[in-house]
Amino acid sequence: MESSKESSAPGSTSASTSTFPNALCFGSDLPAAGVPCQVEVTPVGLHLLLPQPVGGMRTDETVPFAGMSVKAGGFDHDQLVVTWPHQGNSRTLYLKDPSLIASFRRSAPPELIPHLERTAGKVRRVRLGRRTLLAIAVGAPLALVVTLWLGSDTLVNMAVSRIPVEWERAIGESASREFIAGQTVVKEGAAVAAVQEITKRLTDQIPDNPYQFQVTVVRSDTVNAFALPGGYVVVFTGLLKKAESPDEVAGVLGHELNHVLLRHGLERIVKTLGIVAVVTIFTGNQEGLVGLAQRLGIELITLKFGRDQEREADLGGLRLVHRAKISPDGMIRFFERLSPADKQQVELLSTHPMSAARAERLKTEAASLPRQEPEPFTFAWKGVQAAL
Amino acid sequence: MKSEILYPGAFPMVRIALASGESVKAESGAMVAASPTIDVESKLEGGFLSALSRKVLTGEKFFFQTLRAARGAGEVLLAPTVPGEIVIMELDDIHEYMVQKDGFLAGAESVKIESRMQSLSRGLLGGEGFFILKISGKGPLILNSFGAIHKVELKPDEEYIVDNSHLVAWTATTTYTIEKASAGWIASFTSGEGFVCRFRGPGLVYIQSRNPGGFGAWIRQFIPVSE
Repeated sequence: MESSKESSAPGSTSASTSTFPNALCFGSDLPAAGVPCQVEVTPVGLHLLLPQPVGGMRTDETVPFAGMSVKAGGFDHDQLVVTWPHQGNSRTLYLKDPSLIASFRRSAPPELIPHLERTAGKVRRVRLGRRTLLAIAVGAPLALVVTLWLGSDTLVNMAVSRIPVEWERAIGESASREFIAGQTVVKEGAAVAAVQEITKRLTDQIPDNPYQFQVTVVRSDTVNAFALPGGYVVVFTGLLKKAESPDEVAGVLGHELNHVLLRHGLERIVKTLGIVAVVTIFTGNQEGLVGLAQRLGIELITLKFGRDQEREADLGGLRLVHRAKISPDGMIRFFERLSPADKQQVELLSTHPMSAARAERLKTEAASLPRQEPEPFTFAWKGVQAAL
Repeated sequence: MKSEILYPGAFPMVRIALASGESVKAESGAMVAASPTIDVESKLEGGFLSALSRKVLTGEKFFFQTLRAARGAGEVLLAPTVPGEIVIMELDDIHEYMVQKDGFLAGAESVKIESRMQSLSRGLLGGEGFFILKISGKGPLILNSFGAIHKVELKPDEEYIVDNSHLVAWTATTTYTIEKASAGWIASFTSGEGFVCRFRGPGLVYIQSRNPGGFGAWIRQFIPVSE
């Protein structure tokens, strides 16, 4: 390979060199870019070979070890810089080849050894410093992400615990009003009375309840029920039609009431807002790869978060149902019956993903509760369903 | 590989003649035109992680393009984005250049490109960012500058002060420190120089006659502000 334009850089001088240059020689009488040369280590000093004389340098020079001084050089501090006096000035040699540096260290006379050791120590310090800086540059954002990931639950809980119930109620009320505005509400009838009775049975068992639970029955074939912060529960008629007993409805309601009691909705809002805020402040923008990683991070955290909440609500719901002297079997049976095959019609499954593990956990929990005789409801379930 | 600079001056272009099977790596987007025998390949120089770190940390293009004379000899024309000079250097396997991230235009396939981290103070104040390119190996290396390119030769221990935004490249044997342009902090900024680099020989420093940041600030005043 060659360049047709005469290179403005040095090195073109060495183009015809048959020997491989392994060092650069500098001096006040030499070109500023340095003279590429072949260096050999001999027992008495360094032997410098050049294809042709350059500046004040002959093609063959021997430099004795006496009078030499050494230090580290080059951008990565990986070169050995050897300096010696030359005709009232000095010459400097940059050795890059590691094997050449090693043989220099082996042959160097005792008076140079302390210098070489000091140089090696300095190189190690510089490299360590650079590695530390790199580790900090990479580690700090990583540590922040890990801290957020692990510590977020504590932080979120702290933030959530400071939010008064009134605020929660305001958030829930406006969200619930917005949702109900577009729906047909079932205002009275056997179904409403039955849902209210089930809810009362459950809420009576909640000690120090700060919430005024308000259950709304909405006419829709969707098999679902949900709870908004502040105690606004919505039950769809589709769920009532699908349920084979009031125990099953009680199970779903127990689960939803626990989302409210455990302030899951608030946690979710705080967590999502918090992560977006922290990430935006920290990075300034959300472009490209970084943005993608952030988004992925947010999704992963919220997913994990939701699953933990579901488990909490499941167990809390089951215990609440049990305290209200309702058979917990209804809850388990209902969840089991909602097979994943029904996914399209059963929205409950998409917002409350069912898994075998979840049903199993409920069964184990139910088995550990003391056996009791369930108290019947005042209504006949078949009649309630017929009234829908 | 034979390279030749066309239209030297502010708007140059480089013509590279490739023998059959030869290739050249170029900054992505640098190709102006090529013979039909040339294949354009995108390549992650130095592996995926190295390329990713270069992209994220230096802001340099993620990919270099490799232009290969796969189906017989041919030529490619390359040009940089900004107006300014192009220089061709011949690397000899012993000289190494530190190049600021916008300075690389193209290089022979045997030219090695790595990202290197600078020290904390240089990274923060040097105006080149924490990462710069270290270019070594053998063969032609083509650099470009904003404005004309000027070579400064430094003998051992000779010093020279360069405004940090005018740096293009320097040899690895040359060391530099960052310092304030004037003795006082206020004077440093009111003089318009801020931080400067004090280079110490031996070696070469390539500087550009125009400052991209300064040009950007100047041109901004003519851009109408939309509401």
